[in-house]
Amino acid sequence: MEPAIELAPGAEDHGFAPMLATLLRQNLDDHADKRATALRMRGRVAMVITDLGMSVTLEFVPYAVRVHAGIVGIPDVTVRAGSEHIMKMSMLELGRFGLPDPRGEVAKELSAAERAGAIKYYGALANLPLMVRLTRVMSVNA
Amino acid sequence: MSFKFPSEAWTKAYQDAVNANEGYRTHGKPWTFGAVAFVIKADPSIGIPDDVGMIMDVHEGVCRGTQFVTGMDAVQEAPFIVVADYARWRACLEGKLDPIKSMMEGKLKLTKGHLPTMLRFVESSRQLVVSATHVDTEFLA
Repeated sequence: MEPAIELAPGAEDHGFAPMLATLLRQNLDDHADKRATALRMRGRVAMVITDLGMSVTLEFVPYAVRVHAGIVGIPDVTVRAGSEHIMKMSMLELGRFGLPDPRGEVAKELSAAERAGAIKYYGALANLPLMVRLTRVMSVNA
Repeated sequence: MSFKFPSEAWTKAYQDAVNANEGYRTHGKPWTFGAVAFVIKADPSIGIPDDVGMIMDVHEGVCRGTQFVTGMDAVQEAPFIVVADYARWRACLEGKLDPIKSMMEGKLKLTKGHLPTMLRFVESSRQLVVSATHVDTEFLA
């Protein structure tokens, strides 16, 4: 079973939403474990790309992930960061059990950016499983 | 000597610039995923009546060859195809657009190819753009 990756109406013309949908689709096609993870996810994650003035919402529902242009509904988790850091999140190194590897170069860079205030997470602690799973399905690393 | 962009001569000069770029040689070394085609969308108002493509046969940090072709059909064999209009490519060649940021904004579109692979080679993509900025370019518009 594979979750459908759907672009919400109006998201086709958004700059980032189709790219994010493609990334998720190809990542899930490549990795059965990421497909299983995506199937377990529920909730909404908003990403605000501060330097581009863009935002997208990922809505995880049973058997599908919908990618919306803009912030749609009330996000469980919101990530605010520049485009460079948003892209870096997809390059995060994964370690044991598919968890982010804190020793990885990208992980260290993102941690430093968070400490410096360049990346802000809202609701991440209260929704830790959603956040960890998001990292796993977004990462282009196995 | 300046080269008209786009043209076969520019594409050859670009190959030389890529191969002279130490940064590309380093960051592109692990790339074994095939050629990358850059397509400029048709714009008759500036003398580009049909889409034109530059196919770069990049492999392990070296550009082994290039093709300058006309029409989208001619680039379909390339595993990766990036499409944009002339103004966007010009901005890229002038170093005003970051390739990855431009893809996020939808200004450059990866119409064919494995995006996760492309993202693993962000620095390599940047170095391809840096190489292009070293070609003495004569723009149409």
